Amino acid sequence: MSERYSSFEPGGRRWLWQRVTAAFLVVVLAFHFFLLHFVHHADEVTFAMSAGRMETLSYYSLMVLFLLTATFHGVNGVYNALVNTGLSGRQRTAVKWTLVVASVVLIVQGIRTANAWAGISLV
Amino acid sequence: MSQSYNRGLVEDFGRWREFSAGMWAWVFHKFTGWVLVGYLFTHIAVLSTALSGPAAYTGTIRTLEGLLVVRVLEVGLLAVAVFHILNGCRLLLVDLGVGLERQDVSFYASLILTGAIVVASVPTFLAGVSL
Amino acid sequence: MSTQLPQEPETESEPETDAETGSQQARRMREKAERRERTRTEETPDLSDEETRVIKVFRYDPEVPEKQEPRFDEFHVPFEKGTTVLDALIYARDTYDSSLTFRHSCRQAVCGSDALFINGSQRLGCQTQLGDLDEPVRVEPLPHQDVVKDLVVDMDHFYEQMHAVDPFFDPDETPADPMVEQSQTRANREKIKTSTRCIWCGACMSSCNVAAGNNDYLGPAAINKAYRFAMDEREGSEKKRERLEIIERENGVWRCQTQFSCTNVCPKDIPLTEHIQALKREAVKENLKFW
Repeated sequence: MSERYSSFEPGGRRWLWQRVTAAFLVVVLAFHFFLLHFVHHADEVTFAMSAGRMETLSYYSLMVLFLLTATFHGVNGVYNALVNTGLSGRQRTAVKWTLVVASVVLIVQGIRTANAWAGISLV
Repeated sequence: MSQSYNRGLVEDFGRWREFSAGMWAWVFHKFTGWVLVGYLFTHIAVLSTALSGPAAYTGTIRTLEGLLVVRVLEVGLLAVAVFHILNGCRLLLVDLGVGLERQDVSFYASLILTGAIVVASVPTFLAGVSL
Repeated sequence: MSTQLPQEPETESEPETDAETGSQQARRMREKAERRERTRTEETPDLSDEETRVIKVFRYDPEVPEKQEPRFDEFHVPFEKGTTVLDALIYARDTYDSSLTFRHSCRQAVCGSDALFINGSQRLGCQTQLGDLDEPVRVEPLPHQDVVKDLVVDMDHFYEQMHAVDPFFDPDETPADPMVEQSQTRANREKIKTSTRCIWCGACMSSCNVAAGNNDYLGPAAINKAYRFAMDEREGSEKKRERLEIIERENGVWRCQTQFSCTNVCPKDIPLTEHIQALKREAVKENLKFW
């Protein structure tokens, strides 16, 4: 009877990654808020200051990693929430690929923005 | 057993008054999660005005930050983020099997702490904005 | 703490002879006989000189036209310290409406047949004191399961899930001498102790929001059953691997959202969420070995 509950996708890996990214994001999100609202203030934002931070390699790579983990954590969370409502079959496949495409667009756009500040031009 | 009666969804969220701590924690975590992922997309969209040059970026951010509505929404965002972080820590502990008997206490603690942090941050978040 | 006796014609023995012994049993028999006598003579018993409570009971019967539309019936039942919800239901059935249908058997929280939705929470009727509840006490069948009649729900799906985890002991090797015990260390016994208490009442499953939305989710009771065997050191390694494979499939442990609803309602105080979490970690560890 257990076959009924079978599937080719064991959820364990995504479950673990959701936790790993969570542990990372707890720290980085707190840092992000602190830096951009308490150290620097919302009404003082300028392109030059953002650029100044992004030109540092450590800050740039931290922000890119932040973007990647946040996107995974967020989009995977949305997917899980939808799957928990009993989504299956073609609907689930459609949702999955829509979310993958949205994530890719988000990451590409985010990195392009970071590059604009850091002065990196790929093309 | 030819027929049976299905009571439908009334049994779920229609019963919200009877939810316990763990259930509320889940509801809030889901809700704040949706808000945060929505904000992530908006955030990148706004920041990518930097692609159109320094003036466009600085102008956009200054305009937005000059609006009281935006500042108030930012306080809301802080509340949502802080709760998600604190309850997230609670959930990580639950996943590690630590303190499961005290999970309701840790939920209330994260609520109270969120409230305290948000209230304490209001002056900073509303600084430099004119009505 | 039940004050009722099974309603069988044979038990209508002479109360006078029993009274001579002065035992509790005899007193109850006499009260029962008096009550039955009263019911026979008048339509509704006079409870004006007794302390009473009001219960509102869910009624539904697809085979009776008047009961096809679900409704709540009110019953006034006598109350004394120790009266349980099950006692109240039995009184209501025996006194007012013999068609009132509900499952019950042992009346001491062992058989697991009277899990009900009482005042908005899944509880065992026999374990819930009427005195602890706000009036009127609402008694409904378990949510998220189809109602067959009155308080009786269809448990087939629940049993099917319990069987899906292969709930039986399967060691790799058994002692050659059949007289030798297959003993377990004390520490290991402690580890699985609470998980063995499950009485298959279905309260946890009914309280689970995820199981409600997704019928394929194994649910807390079945996962707890898997825990009971997977964590038993005497379980065969091959069987344990198979079992972990069942529970770590997509609709196994990963669906659990740690809402703690099941743990809150379990009448046997099994830390269900803790067991589900332990199996998640066990499955992750198992997978990491293969990476």
